[in-house]
Amino acid sequence: MPPLGAFLLLSAFLFVTGAVGVLIRRNPLVVFMCVELMLNAGNLALVTFSRFHQSSEGQVFALVVIAVAASEVVVGLALMVAIYKSGRPMDIDDLSEMRG
Amino acid sequence: MLTIFFAVVAALSATSGIGVVVSRRPLYAALSLVLNMLSLALLFLLLSAQFLAAAQVIVYAGAVMVLFVFVITLLNPAREDSPSREPIQGGVAIFLGASFTLLASIAFLAGKAPGRFPDDAAATGGAALGSIQAIGQALFNDFAYPFEVTSLVLVVAAVGAVYLSRGR
Repeated sequence: MPPLGAFLLLSAFLFVTGAVGVLIRRNPLVVFMCVELMLNAGNLALVTFSRFHQSSEGQVFALVVIAVAASEVVVGLALMVAIYKSGRPMDIDDLSEMRG
Repeated sequence: MLTIFFAVVAALSATSGIGVVVSRRPLYAALSLVLNMLSLALLFLLLSAQFLAAAQVIVYAGAVMVLFVFVITLLNPAREDSPSREPIQGGVAIFLGASFTLLASIAFLAGKAPGRFPDDAAATGGAALGSIQAIGQALFNDFAYPFEVTSLVLVVAAVGAVYLSRGR
């Protein structure tokens, strides 16, 4: 079994990759995918600690995170479709004001 | 043996994670994300979270990614000329990310924290860790209230999505 630190390092790396993507990408769809990447990295850390402490709580947390991520994607993609219908460009720098 | 398996899956996961960020076309990013989620499901299996691995494949690689691909093909966003907003911003973001990863590797690999996982057989008398039985017991005994709130979140998200995307 690889050491605990290897799993945590992979989790940190995936989180950082997602965060860099959120910071530099312009397409809101890709930004959403990078947020999913960050949530998945958090899940990996939760499951790692659940295994480390031999308790189910971390896995329950990860399950809740999966459910919340799914609802976040649903709302986000609905927003994306609404933006597309309103005829504005799909670029988050152009969508920086929250006016209806 | 498990270490080799972990190394292969971790390399796959890290590569596909980078692929999400650097692909120019959103569809390629989505496919990289599918690969990343499947490799994370394999890691969950390695961490004896069988139920969560199945949930990961069904919910993420199934439902969420179908939704993503569906919206990508529906909106058909143009190929980006350059993936980053401004060169300086991209450089700063990559520098910060690299330094954080370096710090994390120092903290996790060179620290004095106990790095060995305990044996799975040493689990307490009840159901084995990660089995549906253990998850169900934790979910419906200790976390019944958060579980119900999660279902409320799902309902609110579904109603909100219908409201947002309805025709005007």
